[in-house]
Amino acid sequence: MNSQDLLLDVKDLRIFFFTDEGVVKAVNGVDMKIHRGRTLCLVGESGCGKSVACRAFLNIIRSPGRIVTGEMKYYRQTGNGQQDVIDIAKLDPRGKQIRQIRGKEISMIFQEPMTSLSMMHTIGDQIMESVLLHNQVTKAEARRRAIEMLDRVGMPKPERIVDEYPFRLSGGMRQRAMIAMALSCNPSLLIADEPTTALDVTTQAQIVDLIRDLQQQLNMSVLYITHDLGVVAEVADDVAVMYLGKIVEFGDVETVFHHPKHPYTQALLRSIPKISREREELDPIQGMVPSPFRRPTGCQFHPRCTQAMEKCSQIEPRVTTVGENHTVQCLLYENL
Amino acid sequence: MTNPIPHTGLQPALQMGNPENLLEVTGLKKHFPIIKGVFAAAQGYVKAVDDVSFSIRKGETLGLVGESGCGKTTAGRCIVRAYPVTAGQMLYQLRDESVVDLAAVPEKELSPFRRDIRMIFQDPYSSLNPRMTIFEAVSEVLRVNNLCSPSEMRDRVEALLKRVGLRPEYMQRYPHAFSGGERQRIVVARALITNPRLVVCDEAVSALDVSIRAQILNLLEELQADFDLTYLFISHDLSVIRHICDRVVVMYVGKVVEVADALDLYTRPRHPYTEALLSAVPIADPRGRETRKHIHLQGEIADPSNPPSGCYFHPRCKFAQQVCREQTPELRTVGKNRQAACHFAESIQLQGVIS
Repeated sequence: MNSQDLLLDVKDLRIFFFTDEGVVKAVNGVDMKIHRGRTLCLVGESGCGKSVACRAFLNIIRSPGRIVTGEMKYYRQTGNGQQDVIDIAKLDPRGKQIRQIRGKEISMIFQEPMTSLSMMHTIGDQIMESVLLHNQVTKAEARRRAIEMLDRVGMPKPERIVDEYPFRLSGGMRQRAMIAMALSCNPSLLIADEPTTALDVTTQAQIVDLIRDLQQQLNMSVLYITHDLGVVAEVADDVAVMYLGKIVEFGDVETVFHHPKHPYTQALLRSIPKISREREELDPIQGMVPSPFRRPTGCQFHPRCTQAMEKCSQIEPRVTTVGENHTVQCLLYENL
Repeated sequence: MTNPIPHTGLQPALQMGNPENLLEVTGLKKHFPIIKGVFAAAQGYVKAVDDVSFSIRKGETLGLVGESGCGKTTAGRCIVRAYPVTAGQMLYQLRDESVVDLAAVPEKELSPFRRDIRMIFQDPYSSLNPRMTIFEAVSEVLRVNNLCSPSEMRDRVEALLKRVGLRPEYMQRYPHAFSGGERQRIVVARALITNPRLVVCDEAVSALDVSIRAQILNLLEELQADFDLTYLFISHDLSVIRHICDRVVVMYVGKVVEVADALDLYTRPRHPYTEALLSAVPIADPRGRETRKHIHLQGEIADPSNPPSGCYFHPRCKFAQQVCREQTPELRTVGKNRQAACHFAESIQLQGVIS
């Protein structure tokens, strides 16, 4: 993949939360590349920092959290085939420039569609808001666009739904409305934060298929955050496995599922129940995710790792390339 | 056994259909009234569970699956008699092999059965009282029922906490000091402290992270072997159900649509709804994902207060014929150990997810 395809290049991103009890290093040195037209899945257990990292790409980290260091280079395509490079980390969170990007070029869908939609406004008004904000169009044109988007996400009777309030819709319909809103300005990157976790399996399958189809039609990049490895296997081109604020393994979906290198990735895959002829015994990861205030030294996974060596508690592993487009942070693979 | 159940003496001698069954549910109904207006008259009923029949064999794990709103939780709660049931029979075989109808036992005489049939809830954060220590929470049922002396109580709680993988030294702590996985272990201990025979696990692992989920699933399996337990495992997660269940009951809008051995169900479903449900399960293997097709059901799940005519699934079913709009299909035997409620269960070819 050449640099033309690069959309977002994140380097050494660190986001700390300065709470009364101490500093929580929610994201602690994340490198990530998002390419045009591809889907990257960010997978990890709760508290690993995956949602916080994604919020950083829109520069919407809430206090007491702060982006401490790092750069997030956004390669923005200008009309004449040229590229602008903007470092999102350096932008003022309330400034004009990030507000032009947010919701237009990078947009986001959230987990709980009931809490992220306004219940005081109709679906149509909420979609039209971002259309009117980012485009020089009349209200009638924006409304037409809202109906078109609702139709595109498979909403039945979009002309009627456009004037409905969110409480009248089912969970799956609300999530479709959220997607319509996020896509109304043709974003180049869609961030989907657990978009199907609150939904039933049949609805989840529809939403997953919808996001994949729309991605192919619109050629946008998707950053898909989930804890469900099944969903990852269905949608991802690339997978980033996160543990305690670090990306411990990155690779394409086939490699991560069939040739995982990091002991955490391997253990995660062993601990999920599979639908197969034989009932296999589950092999859970020992222990639990440590408290954010008492992170282990060295490799943060070492207390739970079955292959831990003595040096793992002292040395912090670096990013090691173990194959084409495949990196891992583990001492087992350093100095090879 | 520690708590023998006295005969209620109110019912005529009942008999199980099959002596291997621990519980036989027949024609169970639970209708919730929709109350509107000043005179609080029922304007209609939400038929959360509508004529449900299934049985649970001794020592097995029976899965109850379906989407939200299908009535699986309500059915589970009826079995523990959290609600009075609207109609139906729930025959329960006691330790001495006599049979009692749980649906007919008066509220005041339920307490021995509440020790025998216990429940594990989904959310370990809201199902533990934050103002009770772990010891108080686990021993509460022993204390309020005066089931044992304080010293014996301490020993029992200690032994059980150890068995579920917690350190008994921590039993004077409050729930906030524990993580989600540990809390779920506490909830498991609380359910097992009375030496129950049947445990209703309502989405017991759904709120847990993958690594913790595997620990709790393994723990539940070990405890089943150790204490000779029977589980009714209610879940929407079909991979968990495949892992833990021997047999599966599939529900749709308050009705049972299919009952089968787990492997048979996943290999060859007999009801179109089961097929659609199975096809939607994300498989954790990227290989062959292009060939896997999700079946997209048309429309929305039916409204249990105003269900469609005939088969409740017909508006979304690609096989629907005129008869499906007119006649409600009965749950009937369609093969060895399996039942389906579909007019065309034998003639349609459905795709499973295990080849």
